Order: sequence, then structure tokens, then C-alpha cells
Amino acid sequence: MEAENGEGQVQVHLKTKQEHYAVPDVPYAIEGSVATTELNIFLNALLQKQGSDGVDFDFLVFDEYLRGRLCDHLREKAISFEDAIEIEYVERFPAPEPQDCLLHDDWVSAVKARDKWILTGCYDNTLNIWTNKGKHKLTIPGHTAPIKAVDWISLNENYGRFVSSSQDQTAMLWQWNIDSNAVECISVCKGHERGVDSVSVSPDGQRFATGSWDTMLKVWSAQLEDSVEGTSKRPRESGVRTPKLTLQGHRESISAVQWMDGQTLLTGSWDHTLKVWDLNLEGIKTEISTNKSIFDASYSSLNKLIVTASADKNLRLYDARTNQGSVVRNTYLGHNAWVQAVMWSTTEEFLFVSGAYDNQNKLWDCRSPKAPLYDLLGHGEKVLDIDWSNPKYIVSGGSDNTVRVFKTKKANIEHMETK
Amino acid sequence: MTKKQATKRKVKEVKPTNEQDSVSEKSEHEEDEDLLQAVKDPGEDSTDDEGIDQEYQTDSSEDLEFESDEEGNYVGVKENNEEESEEDDDDEEDEDEEEDSSEEAAESGDNEDATASEEKPSGSKALPAANKKESKKLIAQITPRDPSKPEYEDSDTSDEEDIRNTVGNIPMHWYDDYKHIGYDWDAKKIVKPPKGDQIDDFLRKIEDPNFWRTVKDPQTGQEVLLTDEDIALIKRVNSARIPNPEHDEYEPWIEWFTSEVEKMPIKNVPDHKRSFLPSVSEKKKVSRMVHALKMGWMKTTEEVEREKKQKRGPKFYMLWETDTSREHMRRIHDPVSAPKRDLPGHAESYNPPPEYLFDEKETKQWLKLKDEPHKRKLHFMPQKFKSLREVPAYSRYLRERFLRCLDLYLCPRAKRVKLNIDAEYLIPKLPSPRDLQPFPTVESLVYRGHTDLVRSVSVEPKGEYLVSGSDDKTVKIWEIATGRCIRTIETEDVVRCVAWCPNAKLSIIAVATGSRLLLINPKVGDKLIIKKTDDLLAEAPSQDVIENERIKTAVQWSTAEALEQEKGVRVVITHFKPIRQVTWHGRGDYLATVMPEGANRSALIHQLSKRRSQIPFSKSKGLIQCVLFHPVKPCFFVAVSELHSGGFSPHLYYITIIAILQTQHNIRIYDLVKQELIKKLLTNSKWISGMSIHPKGDNLLVSTYDKKMLWFDLDLSTKPYQTMRLHRNAVRSVAFHLRYPLFASGSDDQAVIVSHGMVYNDLLQNPLIVPLKKLQTHEKRDEFGVLDVNWHPIQPWIFSTGADCTIRLYT
Repeated sequence: MEAENGEGQVQVHLKTKQEHYAVPDVPYAIEGSVATTELNIFLNALLQKQGSDGVDFDFLVFDEYLRGRLCDHLREKAISFEDAIEIEYVERFPAPEPQDCLLHDDWVSAVKARDKWILTGCYDNTLNIWTNKGKHKLTIPGHTAPIKAVDWISLNENYGRFVSSSQDQTAMLWQWNIDSNAVECISVCKGHERGVDSVSVSPDGQRFATGSWDTMLKVWSAQLEDSVEGTSKRPRESGVRTPKLTLQGHRESISAVQWMDGQTLLTGSWDHTLKVWDLNLEGIKTEISTNKSIFDASYSSLNKLIVTASADKNLRLYDARTNQGSVVRNTYLGHNAWVQAVMWSTTEEFLFVSGAYDNQNKLWDCRSPKAPLYDLLGHGEKVLDIDWSNPKYIVSGGSDNTVRVFKTKKANIEHMETK
Repeated sequence: MTKKQATKRKVKEVKPTNEQDSVSEKSEHEEDEDLLQAVKDPGEDSTDDEGIDQEYQTDSSEDLEFESDEEGNYVGVKENNEEESEEDDDDEEDEDEEEDSSEEAAESGDNEDATASEEKPSGSKALPAANKKESKKLIAQITPRDPSKPEYEDSDTSDEEDIRNTVGNIPMHWYDDYKHIGYDWDAKKIVKPPKGDQIDDFLRKIEDPNFWRTVKDPQTGQEVLLTDEDIALIKRVNSARIPNPEHDEYEPWIEWFTSEVEKMPIKNVPDHKRSFLPSVSEKKKVSRMVHALKMGWMKTTEEVEREKKQKRGPKFYMLWETDTSREHMRRIHDPVSAPKRDLPGHAESYNPPPEYLFDEKETKQWLKLKDEPHKRKLHFMPQKFKSLREVPAYSRYLRERFLRCLDLYLCPRAKRVKLNIDAEYLIPKLPSPRDLQPFPTVESLVYRGHTDLVRSVSVEPKGEYLVSGSDDKTVKIWEIATGRCIRTIETEDVVRCVAWCPNAKLSIIAVATGSRLLLINPKVGDKLIIKKTDDLLAEAPSQDVIENERIKTAVQWSTAEALEQEKGVRVVITHFKPIRQVTWHGRGDYLATVMPEGANRSALIHQLSKRRSQIPFSKSKGLIQCVLFHPVKPCFFVAVSELHSGGFSPHLYYITIIAILQTQHNIRIYDLVKQELIKKLLTNSKWISGMSIHPKGDNLLVSTYDKKMLWFDLDLSTKPYQTMRLHRNAVRSVAFHLRYPLFASGSDDQAVIVSHGMVYNDLLQNPLIVPLKKLQTHEKRDEFGVLDVNWHPIQPWIFSTGADCTIRLYT
């Protein structure tokens, strides 16, 4: 059964970018039927000579994760077995560990973590602040309809500022005094005609953008004092804020907003498009048409790619910089139902997380389209939002009234530290 | 010139000579008559008569009896006389002819007879008187070479005239053995003259000085003495000269028509221009005829003949005619030639070799197969005959000919290749579903919360929320994207139908629960609109129109009580019978309800802005199952915008309502303004469950409880354009998508079938219908499956409600 056994031996070069795991660059002849585990044993055996303990590696063959047997992978990619094959190995990203379960009174539709605080928005119209140790800090009522999105504006030792958006057509700007654990609504942002589905704060914390069911994208000031010039003549009621900028272009609900940089916004909408807005021009810079309604989109400043969750089971990778070639760079299959939330890692170039209606979170490497790196189980119902803003914690909220916190051991950072 | 003149002069000279001739002829004829007269006198005879004539004359002196005695065939003297008289007539004819012949070449006997009788009455009468003498004359006439009758003098007479013998042109030696030589006109034998022996001949040769000029008439056998003229004639013929000695061969030529071409025209008048131009009238005539030919009014003789022939009709025709003409055979592709019969073998012989004859066993077997003769080896029993003569007539002849004809008749003329058509090939080419994306393919969300079967579902026009009505007496409003139940509104009765107002400027849900129609403000979406709607529904417009009793007893409008107000109910319209269906007009001001038990008041139209109800039909045409408003058409908008009111936008007063009248199993389309029936669609189904109109308004989809879906093209026909039998059980509901060319149907077989239904703007192109996907995730409860289907107004998503208390979203 030669064919099944993998057509004999394959010549491989083993390479890595992590220099402390480097092995001599000599070709090794290995069986074609090897899988990751065998390669791991082999590599660890090589490394043992250098005196380091066992580490798990993942292997990249031609920019894609090796998930099955090497021969199958090569055959699928139509690569000759005669060539010397370069296998890049990276230290395997350690599995996130479920750390906490934060119980809420209703569905948790928005989560955002920053430093040691976790901010959640709930369907019972309240905001909640938790510590990452799972301690409930504060419940903030104020909205009159379910919260749809939250985001931190700034956070320091004494004060935390955040914004929340709700189906009551408003976004609210809050200031939280950490010491006294008192929260104050700085202003109510009125202007949207329907529920505000998404909110995102600019990198510099000066502005935030909201996308709503009324198809509008609005940019607001996130300053404490609304520095709106006296353009509007009618006496403004205190605490009510009007948008600095309203951008019209989508035909349906804007479900995702994210700042790409200080002047650029990415929006995803139910009208099947992704749009990149230039705030200087106050117009659309790029538009990517897809064939499904987009529920969430995330842009990574590390690799400049956009990953989207849309009205099907797949995640798709887009590149907003080019219009040439196939628009969809990659498709990630693995979820069994609509994916509702997706977010890039802020530190790892290739990693992103997704939460879906199949009660699962998944951690993906964008080089591994066939299978996710890890399934983060725990939710008993639909996952509505997921966040990985804090690189150490993956936080997700779902319709099982819980927020799940998964601790990620940052592999290479830890290593750096140990070094 | 001189020559011509000479010839002319000759011709001129000829004429007088001819005249002279005729004159001389006449004189001669006179002489003849004289001679005839003279003949009567036996003593005198013409000088030219010689030998035989004289003999005859001498003979004739001894009376006719002598002749008859000789021949023994003569009947009687009288007859003879008659004969003679006739003969005489003939003679006279001859003479007449001779007279006329110069002028007329042809002559007819009757005429001559007439002339003869006229001219010679005296002669013919005189003749019978002198019998004896006439007999002599007869003889004289028998000898045509009577010198007194210059027969060939100037003209040749017909041979027929001279024929005395009627035997015709036969070899005369046939009569060698007989005494007579033929028969005369009276069928009497013409007796051969006595023939002398050689000595007599010799003696005559020696004695008769005229022997040399004596010839034998081959017809009569009489000897004829040639006259001098005859001899001269013969001589002239022998010497190849013109027989007529009087004929002047060298007459002067008279040039009547000159052969010379004159240089100058004889006429001074030039040819008329007309003579150079084609005739107009003729052209007209010809063109008229050509036109007639073209149009088939006139037929050419050929055609007429052909038609006649056809009319007579070929009653019989060659079965294998084409075989005989190669030209025809060529036209038949791969022709089959006529089957040939087997050649007869030894067994067919009348005298077959003994081994072919049946022995006893074979005979027995042959006879045994009497009932199935086709199984016999030979269809006959070989028989032996001594000779061909004894072979009887073949008894099976006719039958076998007939069978042969049948064979030929039924035999195929050409080899046909059986067409190998794949059944697949005949199915019309439908585009593959892959090309018709997007359409729902998978179940994405399940909305759980109801505790009894969910009857109805309706989607907010913006597509964010969903309302459902259930048998658990609740109405639930859901958030589509998350499946979250936003609100539950409890009602007092089973909710049969819910309908979200299609006007996005209003936030109203119409809920049919029991016999009450609730107008509920769902309080979701734009707050401004919610408030506006509340304001609008709060104030009851003053009723300026007094409603008639019929409506009053059927419907009561009322503002909801405080308890219900809290739930969101704003207006309650109480009907007198349970409501089965409620549907909105596209503008959101009118809504129609159906109460199947309401008899002639089963369909009602409510106007929200005026809080008024109407009963569109005064008479009950049947049990109304379902009503539908025609989608908005801007062209009707203009005509009736004066009837608007209050806070509502200008209304479309022109509404087309479509009502299904169940007992008659058809669909009626009414124009409500004109109050008339526009169209009646025939469904041929007993139970209609639901219908949906294409957003363009020209196509209607009807679902029936007998497992069918009917697609009506309203422009095309009153009969279904297509009948779809996609479901295995009663179809409960159908729905068109507002934007995508999609429609869906839900059935009791728990399946939702999504189909592509493309309506083209081109009126000539028929709608394209392609079933795309069967979505079967609902569970069965008590024979019920899917109860209602409804599309998302924007996305290609379908919602279905089922008896399993769930609403499912397929994307």
C-alpha cells in the first residue's frame, strides 16, 4: 500500500523565524505519511540536543498549516514529492483556558475588555463592569432598550470612560470613577433614527463612530466637553450630543464599525458591502461587495486584512488595499451556524477569534482555513459578541446570559519574558 | 423584263383557252347526249365503239334473259331495270362532274345526285321506257373507254367513280377459280367474260387489227379497246410529257407579285407610330390574365385538365409506384425495394419429384395445422398431375393476390432510423440553481417561545423585526438577527393572522384574534414613528358619514381600553364573526379582513384614517377564503389623490381587491372604484389556502389544499400559467419576495420549498419558474407542518411558522 503510506520519503528543510528554536538547516528525509505529532517528536528530538524541554510546534507547509498527513497536504496543493519541501515551524499557540463565567440577568450582547476591566452590555438595558478576575463591579442602568455595543474610550487609574450604544437609538458616553465606583453619564448621543448596532472609538480616543439600523454612519466627539462650535442655534439640552459627521452610503443596517486609523473607518453592512470611509474626504474610499449580509467585520492593523462574519457559516478574509484578483482572500470553514462576531488579535499577526450561533468560539490562524486552532467551548447558547482587545483574555458574551472569559497564555511573550 | 412580260402574256392567253376548253367540253357533252340518244337506237352506234362493245350490243339484242341465264344468279328483269336506271344516274353524275370538275375539285355524291335529277329529269324518266336499249347503254358504260366519253380529257376523276366491282383492292387472282370476278353495286356477280383458249387468242391476234390496242380491265375482266386518245396519252406518259396535250408548258409568265424589293415605298403614308409601340390594350389584357392566373381565378388549360383528371381521381394506384421511377425513388431516403416473392420451387411444380410429395405423416401434420396455417412449412400440399393440362384452376389465386397486395401495402417504403431521444433532452433547459443565487439554503435561526402552533408571521418593512401570532393567544415580536423575543402581547383569543403594516412610516401591526381585529403599535424601531403612530391612532376622526345599518352590525371601531393600551393595542375593530385573514394595502391606510362565516359580509375593507369600514360586496358569490390588495401602481395614483385625509399621505383610492370565492373555486378580481368585476381566474381547485401577488402585479400565486400551487399570469389567461405539484401534502401558504425573483411555499409535509420565479419586463417572455430548494426542518404535529411562510423584505431570507411552535429562518 505504497500510495496510502504516503509514497515513501520526502526531503524537507525545517525552518523557523523563532531563532531560539532554530535547528541546523540540513535536509531531512522523512516519511510522507507523517503528521504534526510525528514532526513534533522529531523536532523536539532535534532540539533536545540543544538542551531545551519539549515544546509543541505547528508546521507551515507553503504558508498553510499542516493539519493532516504531509503527503495529503502536498497532494492537495499539487506539489511534487521530488522537491525539497520547506517546512516552517512555529511554536504552537497555547490553548486558551476557560477562566471565568460571569453571570448576567439577560443576554449579553456586547463585551469589551480593557486592562483588568470587562465592560458588558446586556439585553436588560444595563451595562456591567467586571474585573477580569470575575468580580462584578457595577451595573449601570440608563438605556431604555437592549445595549448593542460598547467600547472603551480611555481608562486610567482613576477614571474610565466608555461609550455604549443601544436599540433606543442613542449612544451614551459614560465616565466611571473607579475609586468611588460611581458612574456618570456625560452625554447622550441622539441622532440615529433606529437602533445603534455598532460603536467604535478612534485610536486616539477623541472621536467615536456609530453605525445604526437607519443605515447612517455617524461620528461623534468623545471628549468630555462637546466642543461643537455654535453652529446650531437652538439651545441644546445639557448632556445631549449631536453627531459631528453623518455619512450616508449604506443601504441597510450598519452592523460593524471599526477605525482603521485616525481618519479611516471600516463599516460592514447588511447590504452585503464593506466600505472604507475617509473622514477627511467625508466619503467612501473603497467598497468591497460580497454576497452575504455582513454581521461583523474586523480589521487588523498588523496585517492590514479584514475578516468578516456574514449571514452564513463562513468567515471570509478580505484585503481592502487591492481590488485585483479574487476579492475573497480566504474562507474559514468550521462554524455550524451564523457567525455573529469576529475580532483580530491585537498582538498576533495571524490570529483572530470568532463567536457564532453554534454556541462556540473559535480561535483561528488565518493560515489555517480548514480548521480552527482551538474551539473555545463553554457557552450554552448563541454567542453574540466576542472581544480580544486585551491580549490576555478572550471574552465572549452570549444569549445564555453569561460572559465567558478565556485566558490566553501568550506563548512568545512569556518566552521573551523568560529569556 | 421581256421574259416576264412574255410569261404574263402566256397566263393571259391560258385563260381564254380554258374557257374555250370548257366551251368545247360542253359542246362535246352535248354531243355525248346526242350520242346517248343515238345509243337508244340499236342500229346506230358510236363510231369509236369496237369489238367487245359491238359484241355486247349484239348480245344485248338478245335480251337480258340471256345474261341471267348465263350466270344463273340474276334475280329478275325488273331489278335489272332499276339497276340500269341507277347506273344511268351514275353515268349522268359522271357527266355532271365532268362539267363541274373544272371549277370544283371535290364533289359529294348527294349534290351530284340532286343536280343530276334536276338537270336530267327527262332523261331519267325516259330511260325506263326503253329497257332494252338501256341495257346496251349499261354495257357501254361498263366499258369506260367509250370514245364518246373523254374521261381523262382535261381532268382526272376520282378512282371511286369508276369502280364497278365492289370487292375492293384485293389480289384479283383470288377469283381465278370462280366464274365471276366480283360484285357490282347491287351485289350481283360480275361474270367473267368467256375466255378463249390460246388458239382463239392467236386467231384474234391474227385477225383482229385492234388486238394490240385491246387490254383487259382487271376489275371486270372485260376487254377494253383503247382509243387513239388513250394511246396518245399513254405515249405521252411514257415519254414523260405532260399527259394533257393541250397544256402549254411554255405559257408566258405573268408576274403578279414581283420579287424585287422596291426602294421607295409603294404607299406614300408612313407607318403609324402605333405600329411600333406595343399595344396598351393588349398589354392590359395580358396583365389582367397574368394577374388572374396568379390569383388562381383563371386556370391554364393544362391546369384545368389536371384538375379534371384529379376530379376523376385515381381510384387505383400502384402500391410501389415509386419503385418504377428512379426519380421518385431518389427522394426517399434509404428506400426499401418491393419485397420479392419467392420463386416457385420443385414443390410447386405440377409434376414434383416424388420426394417433394407428402407422405402420410407429413399429410397428417399438414392437416393438423389447419387452424394455424402460418405454422405450416408449405402453404399448400404438393400435388402430382399427369400433365399440365390436368392442373385445375388455382383456388387460392385471388386470396394470394390480395395478401400480396396487403404485404406491399403494409411494407415500409423507407428504412427509418428510430430516433434515439433521451427523455432528459425533452425537459426544458432550466438554469442550474447555482446560477440563481442568492436564495435560502440552510436553516439559520429558530425562534422559540410560542407554546402552541404558530399561525402566522409577518416582517417589519425595514427587516429588523418580526411578528408572529400563535394559537397560544399571544403575539410575539422578535428581533430577526438574534432570535430574541422583544415583546409578547397576550390576546383574548387564538391569533389567526398577523400583518405588519407595509408602510414604513407607520408602526402598526394588525392582529386578527377571534372576532377582533387589533391594531397594535409594536413600539419597536424609530421612536418618532412610534409616537406619530400613537398620536394618529389616539384621536378618532369625527364621523361625518352616517354608516348604514349593514356595516354597523358587522363592525364596531373602538379605542382600546387602558389595560390593552399598555400592551400596545391602540384600536380594536370588533367584527361579528371570527376573522380568518387580515391583509394590508400597500399604502397602509386600508386593510381588508375576511370572515369566512360572514356570508355576504365576509369581506370587509377598513380605512384607518377615517375609521370607517366598507362592505365591498353586496351579494355573496361564495365563501370567501382569502383577499389581497393589488400592489401599488403609480399610474392610478394621480387619478384619485383628492380623497386624502389627516395625517396620512395621499391615498390611493383605486384599489384592486382580489377575492377568492371558494365555492366556485375561482378567484375574482374587482375594481373597487368602479365596483365591477375585472377578471375571474379559474383554479379548478376545491380549497384555496392562500395567495400572493407578484410585486409587479401581473402574476398571482395561489396555494391550494390539494397539494398544488398555481401560477396565474393575469395578462395571459384566466387559467393557470403553470401548476406546480411540488409538495406531498396540502400547501398552506405562498409568498413572493418583494425584491428577489423568489417565491416560497409552505406545506403540511413540513417542507418549505423555495423557487425561482422570474417575471420579465418583456411581455413576450413567459415567467421562468425553477424550484430551487426544499427546506424541511419543521417537525410534524397533528398532521400539520408549515403553516405560514413570509419573506424578509430585503434579504433573501424566508421565515416559516410551524405547528411545532417555532418560527424558522432560512438563509
